[in-house]
Amino acid sequence: MSITNKITVKRAEIAVAVILALCSIALMIKSAENRITWNAEENMGAGFLPFYLSLGMLICTILTIIKFVLKRSPQSKDDTPFIDAVAFKFIAVTIISLVVLVLAIGYLGIYFSLIFFLAFYLRYFSEKSVAFITIFAITTPILTFLFFEWMLKIPLPQGISEPLFYPVYDFMYGGFSFAVKMIFIILTVVLPTALVFLTTRFIK
Amino acid sequence: METIGFLLDGIFTSLQWFNLALLIFGCLIGLFVGAMPGLGSVNGVAILIPITFIIPPTAAIIFLAAVYYGAMYGGAISSVMLGIPGASTAVATVFDGRPLAVKGEAMTALTAAAVGSFVGGTVSVILFTLFAPPLAEVALRFNAPETFALMVMAFATFVGLGGDDVPKTIFSILIGLALSTIGLDLITGKPRLIFFNIPGFLHGINFLVLAIGIYGIGEMLWTLEETKGKVQMSKLSVNMKEVGRAFGALKKTIMAMNIGSFLGFFVGILPAAGATPASLMSYGITKQLSKNSKEFGSGVPAGVVAPECANNSASTGSMLPMLTLGIPGSPTTAILLGGMILWGLTPGPLLFTQEPEFVWGLIGSLYIANFFTLVLNIALIPAFLMVLRIPFAILAPVIFVLCVTGGYAPTQSLHDVWLMLLFGFAGYILRKLDYPVAPAVLSIVLGPLAEKALRQSLILSDGSMAIFFDMSEKPIAAVIMYIAIVLLIMPAFGPLYRRLFKKKQPA
Repeated sequence: MSITNKITVKRAEIAVAVILALCSIALMIKSAENRITWNAEENMGAGFLPFYLSLGMLICTILTIIKFVLKRSPQSKDDTPFIDAVAFKFIAVTIISLVVLVLAIGYLGIYFSLIFFLAFYLRYFSEKSVAFITIFAITTPILTFLFFEWMLKIPLPQGISEPLFYPVYDFMYGGFSFAVKMIFIILTVVLPTALVFLTTRFIK
Repeated sequence: METIGFLLDGIFTSLQWFNLALLIFGCLIGLFVGAMPGLGSVNGVAILIPITFIIPPTAAIIFLAAVYYGAMYGGAISSVMLGIPGASTAVATVFDGRPLAVKGEAMTALTAAAVGSFVGGTVSVILFTLFAPPLAEVALRFNAPETFALMVMAFATFVGLGGDDVPKTIFSILIGLALSTIGLDLITGKPRLIFFNIPGFLHGINFLVLAIGIYGIGEMLWTLEETKGKVQMSKLSVNMKEVGRAFGALKKTIMAMNIGSFLGFFVGILPAAGATPASLMSYGITKQLSKNSKEFGSGVPAGVVAPECANNSASTGSMLPMLTLGIPGSPTTAILLGGMILWGLTPGPLLFTQEPEFVWGLIGSLYIANFFTLVLNIALIPAFLMVLRIPFAILAPVIFVLCVTGGYAPTQSLHDVWLMLLFGFAGYILRKLDYPVAPAVLSIVLGPLAEKALRQSLILSDGSMAIFFDMSEKPIAAVIMYIAIVLLIMPAFGPLYRRLFKKKQPA
């Protein structure tokens, strides 16, 4: 019996309810770091609202658990797997690759991390050719860069790859004419595409 | 007459080239987002809102409203062609749209959907223009107690009318509110709920982080699981003869259009409802009132028109409380409302007097967007069919890239991206266990506003909660509060009522 079959909807329901109850208690304890009282003389303490909101959350989770024990909720009678094995692979790989992506963004910077993320994801899930995947994985970060850094002027994290972008910034904010910049933009997208295309042809 | 003047100004505002370009672009993105299985208006708006920070608020709202609108049209495309609702708002469109496509009348279904959407959109925007100014005038007299009472009612509608498991719905509302209290306390200035002393929590949790997490990451995980990347498309022949025949079939759907437009609008106004229940209700009522109700489900154009009319009408309806009261009528408008705060506007009736260009620009743009979306929708059907052939394995990573960059851009901190991932995973798991996620998004947007209104009211009343229930002092607040209480206790009486009702029936 595989793991995915063992995790039934029933078990997931009670496990999640218990985890949420524990989280609510943790929130209550955290809220109590501030004053949680409120009376006519003093104003509402900073912890008052979060404390009673999390108390409410705790009561709701307890009600969910009671409904589960009394078998009053549909989930409490459901012995089907919470997730089937095929879907589990999709979800698990997606979640892990996203976590690795965000970890990598902090170190490698977003643009290089995206290249690896896209290449891996497409290679793993799609049946596209290596040429297509390479072009896709390279052009998407370039378009992201042009959109965020050039159009919106929002810098995205670059990690250790930051020095590589200095010449690009010099060019972007240098005294070049609009036409030169446009040609540059087109080339940054077209050149890698052409390069990959030619290389794959050559290899064949 | 004054309204007509404002409306004309609004239409001219939305016809300025920059606004018009964004409007058409928004309609196209909306149609695309709506047509993709798994993505709906709320996902499109949540993912795209970070990129609207550099344009003026009026252009931004016109753009996002067009996305919202376009998605209502676009949802029908995949409902008909793939048999998978393009968005939850188009679930009811599958009931008759898919059988029509199977019979080889896909073009009739798509035309019926587009025309139905157009009629629903137009009727509702006219109702909107008539209702909004007087409602805003009434709302101008609202103070903190009335505002707080309205927000309690918005939360109570989820419990009373949401139809989901009650403890889970309340949990969802409370967790949204609790998350919104993270950061500095607005009265005492003390830091609250700074977990592990991470400085990122000091500026609070931006609603966008939760919205993109749930509606971007969470929704993609959900769709990956549902479709596993594979879909089956119907055949379609597009020619003018088909379109002509489709228009002929629409003559029999006038009743469905009426029901859809009016019902949709009023259901849309309710905070808990939005376009999904509106379309389902409209389908159900049209079916019951129809002479040939037995044919529903086997592919009748009226069965496509009713829900499509209603979802567009509801999407306009849900903007009415957003603009006039500062209370969103649907998850998408909750995100738009949060956007308005980020753009530096104060949602509520004052918008009508302080930002007429914004309000009327939006209303005017709805008239224009309706027309453009109808034309684009019918003209671009072949293009959308190509889009639907894009494998999900390619679309998903692109959406993830948009989510990660969109989660980072507003505050430029990786802390928010981590939180977004966390909310995405948690939202996915909770949604699988029937915890409704929309109330959490609504309450994280309304949380800070509700807290401010509550604490201002309590300062007014020297700390007495009686201010919300005093019929002689604050009659409006009291009435709203009592309605909210009725809504809150309604689910408790549901089983009781059913038990009594069942006993009366012969066994």
